[in-house]
Amino acid sequence: MHEMGIASSILEAVRKELLRYPGYRAAKVDVRIGEFAGVDGESVRFCFDTIVKDSPLAPLELAIKPCAGDELDLGSLELEELTA
Amino acid sequence: MIQVAVEQKVLSENQRIATGLRDALEATGTLSLNFIGSPGAGKTAFLERTLEMLPTGTHAAVLTGDLQTENDAIRLGRYGYPVRQITTVGACHLDARMVEKHLLGWDLDELELLFIENVGNLVCPTSYDLGEDAKVVVLSVAEGEDKPLKYPGIFRKAELMILNKVDLLPYVPFKPELARAYARQIHPEIEIIETSAITGVGFGEWLNWIAKKADKKRASAACAPEREVVQV
Repeated sequence: MHEMGIASSILEAVRKELLRYPGYRAAKVDVRIGEFAGVDGESVRFCFDTIVKDSPLAPLELAIKPCAGDELDLGSLELEELTA
Repeated sequence: MIQVAVEQKVLSENQRIATGLRDALEATGTLSLNFIGSPGAGKTAFLERTLEMLPTGTHAAVLTGDLQTENDAIRLGRYGYPVRQITTVGACHLDARMVEKHLLGWDLDELELLFIENVGNLVCPTSYDLGEDAKVVVLSVAEGEDKPLKYPGIFRKAELMILNKVDLLPYVPFKPELARAYARQIHPEIEIIETSAITGVGFGEWLNWIAKKADKKRASAACAPEREVVQV
């Protein structure tokens, strides 16, 4: 239900983070979702895939790492150099 | 290809606003409670009874969230306290920005208690920090005892569980001791108060709970430097 908002927040965070790395694009983003986060990973993936493909960030892979607790955190970002 | 650590909350923008709200309410010594429960758990009736029973002269205010209608604000507005409706137009939860926007114009310095009634939902509101001091989960005896097991997130995050509508116990097969056991299985330290907004049972204990937390909050605000102590 609120997973679309979560998916857009992930995209927004990636967009902001990329501003710090001119000349690079994001290939993959890692997100940790805790078992008590109240967020369904598959639903986030569905929403993410739906909105990323029409965004300037496409193609961007979402890697979901289940974990304990109530975490809903962005872990790391895999960047590749933009070719001219 | 390079790997860079981001390490931030996915909802970092919400978190940023929630932290600002928490700081503001810390400075004014305002106790803020975020009420979360299923639709029909009796959150609004519970808050109505609470407003009715608050000691005279208490400075309280309510924000109430729903997808549509001003109905709850009208109900809650009958008790002489400021009330604002947050209409989410489809969103299944309140977020910190909505709360911040709807607090505009209220004198927080004067405010002792802020009640936030979230959208009826046991899942999504759990993820959004509203800058509150505590989440209060409302479960009614018209529901299943195993709600804490089915929706563990909110029962884990809530400091207090209100077991509401206990006046219905003679008519429903609900076993309160089972619901308590399930809630404590998820969150051993959760406090539990049984209430009925119809008969008023449990409200003495509930108002004591509020008073204790509000006193503590005011005391910590009074200790903070460079601010006036709000007189009760």
